[in-house]
Amino acid sequence: MATGIALKPIASKPPLVIAGLSLLAVLGFFFVGRLTTRFRLQEQALGRRMYEEGLAEQRAGRPDRAIEDLRSALTYDHDQYRYQLSLARALRDTGHTAESETYLLTLWEQSPQDAAVNLALGRLAAREGQLDKTLQYYHNAIYGVWASNPDTNRLNAWFELIEILLRQNARPQAQAELISLSAELPKRADLELRVANLFAQAQDYEHALGAYQRVLQLDRGNVAALTGAGEAAFAVGRYRSADRYLQSAARGNPQDEHAAEMLRTSNLVLEADPFGPRIYGAERSRRLRAAFEAAGERLKACAVSEGIDLTTGHRLPSDVESSDLPSLNGRWVQLKRKVDRLSQASSDETQDEIMSLVFDIEQQTAQQCGPPSGMDQALLILSQNPNGVER
Amino acid sequence: MSESAVGAAGKTLEVQRASNGATAAGGEIRKKRWYSLNPAFREDRFFLVLSVFIGIYSGLAVVCFRLAIEWTRIGLLGPAPKPHDWRLLAAPGLVSLLVALLVIHVFPEVRGSGVNQTKAALYIFNGYIPFRTAVGKFITAALAIGAGQSLGPEDPSLQIGAGLASALGRRMDFSREKLRLLAPIGAAAGLAAAFNAPISAVLFVIEEVIGRWSAGILGSVVLSAISSVVVVRWFLGAQPLFRIPAVTFLRPTELIAYAVLGIAGGVAAVIFAKAIGYLRPRLRALPRWSQYFLPSLAGLCVGLIGYLGAPQVMGAGYQYMDQAMHDQFTWKLLAIFAGLKIVATTLSFVSGTPGGMFAPTLFVGAMLGGAVGGVERLFNPHLTGTTATYALVGMGVLFAGFLRAPMTSVFMVLEVSGNYSIIVPVIVANAIAYVISRSLQPMPIFDVLTRQDGLDLPSMEEQREESILRVEDAMQPAPVPVLGSEEYIEEANQRIQQAAENVFLVRCIPTGWTTITRDLLKRLAGEGKGELSIGSALPPNRLPYLHPDSPLEMALRYVYQTPLVPVVSRADLRRLEGVISSDAVLNKYRMVSRDDEI
Repeated sequence: MATGIALKPIASKPPLVIAGLSLLAVLGFFFVGRLTTRFRLQEQALGRRMYEEGLAEQRAGRPDRAIEDLRSALTYDHDQYRYQLSLARALRDTGHTAESETYLLTLWEQSPQDAAVNLALGRLAAREGQLDKTLQYYHNAIYGVWASNPDTNRLNAWFELIEILLRQNARPQAQAELISLSAELPKRADLELRVANLFAQAQDYEHALGAYQRVLQLDRGNVAALTGAGEAAFAVGRYRSADRYLQSAARGNPQDEHAAEMLRTSNLVLEADPFGPRIYGAERSRRLRAAFEAAGERLKACAVSEGIDLTTGHRLPSDVESSDLPSLNGRWVQLKRKVDRLSQASSDETQDEIMSLVFDIEQQTAQQCGPPSGMDQALLILSQNPNGVER
Repeated sequence: MSESAVGAAGKTLEVQRASNGATAAGGEIRKKRWYSLNPAFREDRFFLVLSVFIGIYSGLAVVCFRLAIEWTRIGLLGPAPKPHDWRLLAAPGLVSLLVALLVIHVFPEVRGSGVNQTKAALYIFNGYIPFRTAVGKFITAALAIGAGQSLGPEDPSLQIGAGLASALGRRMDFSREKLRLLAPIGAAAGLAAAFNAPISAVLFVIEEVIGRWSAGILGSVVLSAISSVVVVRWFLGAQPLFRIPAVTFLRPTELIAYAVLGIAGGVAAVIFAKAIGYLRPRLRALPRWSQYFLPSLAGLCVGLIGYLGAPQVMGAGYQYMDQAMHDQFTWKLLAIFAGLKIVATTLSFVSGTPGGMFAPTLFVGAMLGGAVGGVERLFNPHLTGTTATYALVGMGVLFAGFLRAPMTSVFMVLEVSGNYSIIVPVIVANAIAYVISRSLQPMPIFDVLTRQDGLDLPSMEEQREESILRVEDAMQPAPVPVLGSEEYIEEANQRIQQAAENVFLVRCIPTGWTTITRDLLKRLAGEGKGELSIGSALPPNRLPYLHPDSPLEMALRYVYQTPLVPVVSRADLRRLEGVISSDAVLNKYRMVSRDDEI
């Protein structure tokens, strides 16, 4: 035989043979164990090197090369959590969503409570517009286990979720998240302000106003909170409060044109409202008359701009379409006599009738001739929320 | 067994000496066989114990083999091979030159994959595989695969396991039959360790190497495979070969899509097999000096493919299969990889470089599967199968079509994926690929290689499909009358007067059969025993009997002991279905061989 292995049978004593084979196996295990350990260490070192290179490529704005390096890192250290997560993120950011999801799901199966993995999966689901999965993974992340800074990370994830929901027009879900978040928010003005702004974005102005007020309790002169509170109060029809907040905001930031405009409008609303608090007798009659006259002027101006003959209702030059404006004009003409005779003793029904016509005219003309300005804008706002103005 | 066959044939005397050495170590040793002295260590039991050790050693060897390949790869090609790296061109070319020198001058029997060599050991060399072959296979395959030759480590692992088992077995005083079986036991251990999949390894060895299910060998094969897998998992972890993403099969109508994959895979398998079958003998017929350069030339071509942009086709390529399953490549890229891998593997293999075909087959299958799935999704975006699902099914398809191991192909996919939900698509696609491959390439690739090497090993596919002759095929009607053992001799004598036969069956009480001749009946009547019953006058011997579904070979054991063998029903042993005689058996075999010739 060409090999060094002799063929002479040695199995004359089976227990000894088995003992010998076992000893050989133990030696083999020891030797291969040493080899494997060395190999593992080398693999880990290579994995680390490739990972670092991948991160460097990522920082240098070469995501495709980063992915290659991260993949190589993973081939050397399959179970390395950091590599998998980084690769999944890189894949997600370069649009390889399916593969990214595969990696993330593998990680998720290994540790479903891991907040970072859930957050990554949540972002992926958000990117794909899957609202249910987005909510599920973000909730897992919010209530999951964070490796560091759990409070900050949890809040950031929560805010991120709400912003995603708002971007996806899921306002009810966003409002629900905001209500939960505000209940658990630490007393910090910046966080309260962020929540208040998000409430405002979600068009939940009641909660937004409350949140802004909490900010102002913590930071009385916070201009952003004052502006926000003014806007929120304005949106819910609390013009007096809006006026107060906006005046303070204007003092703090005179350059804020939007706030200044809103302040002017709220002043107009307060001045135009005939049923405001402590408005009685002659002043109320004056405001009713002023509103009635303004509505009449707006009606005529709108009819002219639209080319409508208020007496016939025909659109000039052709009579193709008709309009409600003439009927409103008819009501206005009928009521004019009553308004001229308006006195302190006029009944509540007459006052309501006048304001009802004013609101109808403002709404109709706004529809037909576009948004008004000045006094008409104030009357239109009042018409939209006739009972909401603070009394 | 090829080149190794030539080498092995050249060493016939040595082999005979070796195999004789184990058995002819002297009548004295035979007489004092330890297992006959100590019943607790009977040969069968010790054989099982040894199977476990074979598994352990094979597992250890395969772990070292995999580490050697990885170290070679990292050292030669770098940790992350990328296109346009000069090492991709230089390493396979130069290292293959060294491999060629080693193969020609030091380890002449290590060429090829190793599967046929193991089969040859079983059928020709009494289980003998030189230990040097195992060592040589380890070194040369690790160098070749590590340097980027497009070959896999599984078949070499199989041969390394078989070589270790053979070497170990020769040191024991086993019978020739046991020695012969050691090679496949080691082969199963080596393959199981390489694949980290014991069931597939056992099935492959049974299906492709041994060719039959036998309780005696099955236990040992399973034990060795399991032990080797335990060892590999101990050192390298329990994770499967691939990280399989979620694979799904939701709608039965999607089977059409997998059937298309089966067709594509069958055709690809035939192209692959035909390319190897055509090129290999032509390259081997080149002058001897060219054999030094062929592996190097093949390595250079494979390196060029890698250098120009597809390093994925170099080496075994497991990580790229994994990436394909994770949707990293577009279907066009997958199709290109599949085509390039067929070219690269054909070149590497036909050049005589040691290395296996399993990994390349899986690679081609995975890439082809992913590509076909991608194309199908273009036409029907509602298909629910992911790239991973198609890649997995594709692996099975190529395995069934190219290696022609249908059972293994199904279980391999299930074992590798750990997901049974895709069993139906796998079976459908594999069956189609197998049928296409068989009709376009009647001889399986392993048989083609065997014939090219001048060996005549049994074809497992032919054996599987060979029709079995049964007793019912040669059975004849029982001669009338059938006598009863309680009948009087005189009465029986009268009953047989009209019959033409000379031998009659006698039904015994309560069960059993015997025969009596006309002459004996006459003689007994003449001796005045006519009033006796037949049973009392005959010796108490009972005839053996057969059933209609028994193999015809079984009849051969009995037909020479008695002129008629009763064929009885399994449900009622007293119910006679017919009889069988030596003439009937021989006639049947003559008829079959005449049909075969026609």
